[in-house]
Amino acid sequence: MSDDFIAVDRLTKHYGPVKALVGVSLGVRRGEFLSMLGPSGCGKTTLLRAIAGFVEPTSGEIRIDGKLMNAVPPNRRPVNTVFQNYALFPHMTVRDNVAFGPRRRGVPRGEIAGQVDEVLAMVGMEGFGDRYPRALSGGQQQRVALARAIVNRPRVLLLDEPLGALDLKLRKRMQVELKRLHERLGLTFIYVTHDQEEALAMSDRIAVMKDGEIKQLGTGEEIYRNPSSRYVADFIGEANLIDCVAEAQGAVRIGAGGTALPYSSSAAGPTTLMVRPEDIRLGEMGAPDGAVSVRATVRDKVFIGQSWRIFAVLETGQEITVEPGSSHEAERISAGASTTLWWPRERGRILAQ
Amino acid sequence: MRIGRFEAILLLGGPVLFLVVFFVGPFLLMTVASLQAKGGAWTAAQYVKVATDAYYWEILYETFKIGLWVALVTFVMGYALAYYITFQVKSRLVRRVIYIVVVTPLFTSVIVRSFAWIVMLGRQGLVNQALQATGIVSSPLSLVYSKTGVIMGLSYVLLPFMVLTVSSILQNLNRSLLEAARDLGASPLMAFLKITFPLSLPGVIAGSLMVFTLTVSAYVTPSIMSGGRFNVMSMLIFQQYMVLFDYNFGAALAILLMVATLVLMGVYVMLLERRARAAG
Repeated sequence: MSDDFIAVDRLTKHYGPVKALVGVSLGVRRGEFLSMLGPSGCGKTTLLRAIAGFVEPTSGEIRIDGKLMNAVPPNRRPVNTVFQNYALFPHMTVRDNVAFGPRRRGVPRGEIAGQVDEVLAMVGMEGFGDRYPRALSGGQQQRVALARAIVNRPRVLLLDEPLGALDLKLRKRMQVELKRLHERLGLTFIYVTHDQEEALAMSDRIAVMKDGEIKQLGTGEEIYRNPSSRYVADFIGEANLIDCVAEAQGAVRIGAGGTALPYSSSAAGPTTLMVRPEDIRLGEMGAPDGAVSVRATVRDKVFIGQSWRIFAVLETGQEITVEPGSSHEAERISAGASTTLWWPRERGRILAQ
Repeated sequence: MRIGRFEAILLLGGPVLFLVVFFVGPFLLMTVASLQAKGGAWTAAQYVKVATDAYYWEILYETFKIGLWVALVTFVMGYALAYYITFQVKSRLVRRVIYIVVVTPLFTSVIVRSFAWIVMLGRQGLVNQALQATGIVSSPLSLVYSKTGVIMGLSYVLLPFMVLTVSSILQNLNRSLLEAARDLGASPLMAFLKITFPLSLPGVIAGSLMVFTLTVSAYVTPSIMSGGRFNVMSMLIFQQYMVLFDYNFGAALAILLMVATLVLMGVYVMLLERRARAAG
């Protein structure tokens, strides 16, 4: 962890009996875009606020660039935050909001104006300097909040669900803009979100959190392809989680005595097989050698634009969702039909419970 | 829900009638009286008398000076207390208890409270004994029956108004603004000066206006605590009405007090608003 730019070491935070963080360790690399992803109450915002200095950890350490941060007040940390509801100062113009940081750091008056204009242009808000925050739309306030943070050239930019209050279309656009800004500035971004799509679209790495712990840390693709647990598989993307039983001999079957699958499990007992809907194909013929195939009955199908979504039922009664792309089979098949579902062996994963 | 014209008239009628009977009516009567001589003939003599006698202007000046002092004292003490209640007290129960303690004196008669202050401020009173015991003064201060005493008494009586208006604003202050200020490099003091205080100004303005107007129109506390050694406007007006039975001149003094107060308040609000705009 020594070469990590930000090193969080066994960080714990208790609010009375509530444990918001349970021994979290995390290394963030210089210039990385790291997302902390999880449902509300998973501790992601607490972790962010601990890095910003607003939450005093119960135990554990935070280091930025090797320097211990625990006792450093927020105003002395080399980080800046974009707050969830922007937290723009309502009694100041856009220009004064953005100039707030440089003024506190004692930047000479003459330079401040230039810096402010520069970052306002960077976020596409030139010409809005004399407006008050209340005269701006949500998206514009968002941009000002961003400008107000980056004008300070922080080593780390912390973003607390910055796009949460925007409508879907604007959110998608801001995602792209944020990503570009990250590349252009070369800063380290730590991004908190509960939106897995957003995390996948923007991040270099994602930390999936639950109950104050990091469940898995990896690139979006790693987490999507190789989730380490049922929870992660379910949280990132859509997943079929098929209840299986691992026998003592190591064979894995769907349900007790059901179809044997070419997977093995480290421990006997109930286990879970994960297959993504888009990895499953259907059809009587065409399953290549080495593919895993199971029998199923189509319950119903819906057209979702680029393909069909088919809901089928396995022999054990478990429902399974299939998005086979626009294939002939998918076009023709109708509710009630019996069919074979198959997927390449490596696209299915046995997960820990 | 839509209401008909009749219901609207009925609903509005009550308050309007109340306003006319208790505010507009007396005000008009007083204005008329101030423009009349004792017999009822129209004259500006009352105002000429006020304008030409420096004594009344001196009393008006003294009254406003006391008003400003009380507004200042309640601001300093009230703001500190409101800030403490809002930001430092973590327990909701304790906060409520403090609010109750702050408000309770309002349930007691102002006469009783003023006499209590006389006891406290007397030569053998609590304040002088404490000051002497700690060695801060060697001989007792004459606090009672002085302007200082009146200012102390009124500040105590009016403190709750300042505390309540300021704390209601502070409580609604978005805390993430303070975090944002700290995040952007402001020390706690800077965050207070640049964010908390400017945003709480509406509360300070409302509180100080209330305290100021209540002070310059206060009668009971100054008349008890002055011990008759000096006058304020309200005492002067009372004397005209109840001692000299000169209703016309009393009315003129009352109008003078009201107009002067309004002008002062107007200037104050204008100055503060301009400053707020300049600072923003």
